[in-house]
Amino acid sequence: MSSRTNSPAGPVAWAFWIRSLGEVTRVRGALVGTSIAPLVFLLGTSGQFGRLSGLPGFPTDSYLSWIIPLCCLQGAGFAGAAAGANLARDIEQGWFDRLLVAPVARPLLILGPVLGAITRAMVPVTLVLVVGLLIGGELTGGPLGILALYVASVGFCTVAAMWGIAMAVIFRTQQAGPLMQMGVFLGVFLSTAYTPQLLLKGWLEDVARFNPVSHVLELGRQATVSGIDVSLAHTWPGLVALAGMIAFFGALAMVGLRRMGR
Amino acid sequence: MIAAAARESRVVGALGRRALTLQFRRAQLLMPTFVLPLFLLAVIASGTSAGRDLRDFPEVSSYLGFVVAGTLLQGALLAGLTAGIAMASDIEGGFFDRLLAAPVRRTSLVLGRLAGTLGLAVLQMAWFLTVALIFGASYPGGVLGAVGAAILAALTAVGIGGLAIAIAIRTGSMNLMQSIFPFVFVLLFTAPAFFPRDLLTPTLHDIAAYNPLTYVVEGARGLLQDDASLGDPWLGLAAAVGLAAFATGLAVLALRDRARRT
Repeated sequence: MSSRTNSPAGPVAWAFWIRSLGEVTRVRGALVGTSIAPLVFLLGTSGQFGRLSGLPGFPTDSYLSWIIPLCCLQGAGFAGAAAGANLARDIEQGWFDRLLVAPVARPLLILGPVLGAITRAMVPVTLVLVVGLLIGGELTGGPLGILALYVASVGFCTVAAMWGIAMAVIFRTQQAGPLMQMGVFLGVFLSTAYTPQLLLKGWLEDVARFNPVSHVLELGRQATVSGIDVSLAHTWPGLVALAGMIAFFGALAMVGLRRMGR
Repeated sequence: MIAAAARESRVVGALGRRALTLQFRRAQLLMPTFVLPLFLLAVIASGTSAGRDLRDFPEVSSYLGFVVAGTLLQGALLAGLTAGIAMASDIEGGFFDRLLAAPVRRTSLVLGRLAGTLGLAVLQMAWFLTVALIFGASYPGGVLGAVGAAILAALTAVGIGGLAIAIAIRTGSMNLMQSIFPFVFVLLFTAPAFFPRDLLTPTLHDIAAYNPLTYVVEGARGLLQDDASLGDPWLGLAAAVGLAAFATGLAVLALRDRARRT
């Protein structure tokens, strides 16, 4: 029990989590966008750019295997950003004001939506992975590789949720929705999304090198890319990148939340 | 007869102006249609430009100039989808019922909305081609080639707009219209939007032959690069006009059906 509030943390977080999951049944088509979009992207991108894996320096000869982790992260990211959009709606409709006056620790107010987003993210991540493997993707990393891919997806979903929640509490309107999604787009695509660092050219070569999401992708690609074996060297940069981004965007969300309550 | 035609053309013009005005009044609607395709253009042009080193990639003056045709197509898809969302919004808000009660031809209601889509698409295409030019795209086809490509894409936007309007009229749900966003990308990715058709994976290569957008994007590419081997502009024009006529017919039928039911 928090020293400043009189509500136990566990049941409160649980209640917010369950309410957040209720979005799936309450809002028609809530899962469609986050599940179908990465799947369409997986099929489309592998079909369009599949021949790129024939270039010298490409770490796998299966472009589909290269793109599966990207689409998993994309699905997880959109599920995370949706947590921000839902919170913005709650703020606009006045529901969140009632939560602010409740005797509940502030971090719990965002913990529930984040947990809900992570749970929802499992649908597109699993769908993309299963479909990707069924149509020819390779599972080169075994169980540890799959674990790395899910850690990367859960972590990135958390980052996106923190970002979305930060935007929601700062702008306090659903109109910030495109900004939340754009943040995920920028994070994912300004990285080694389409080709490895070695084959990037122009401005993206520099941007991708400094984009922490490139490391998160490497973490996830241990599952399906034969040239990226499961190892500590391919794991820790992604974990550090996730921890840094979660800390940064989490702090941003908490600062916004505190300002909102004043 | 002439007086009636003049009156209906005024109705079409007024509804078209309204559609455009609403689009520009809500800045958040402009973001996906004007910014997202450019963002993807920047990422794809930089992230996949190594593809030029592939053996069968055609000789082109600039990679950016090659892939911008895909951006025009993407813009057309988004402009069309926006028309459907706006129509659903009018239906949900009750404005459309007032239009149905007005003494104007049903066809004019559809054509008015599509006129707004055409206007939006023309602005979009000019914007995309100009920004790409500033960032280094070259158009050996000159001004005429660029105008021709823009016309092809704008006509395609009308076709997609017609399909989206038909769905909006049949369902009357803005939520559902927003959910079909990912499916729009199926049309984009099953055409050689960003890579030559001969370099697509075999399955996609076969599917692309049945997608009218294949001929539009190849025609636009041929015009921009002044290279008939990249695509036949007349075939592209036939595909765009055919799609626009077919989709407009579908939308008018949907409207008549709705009018009978209400």
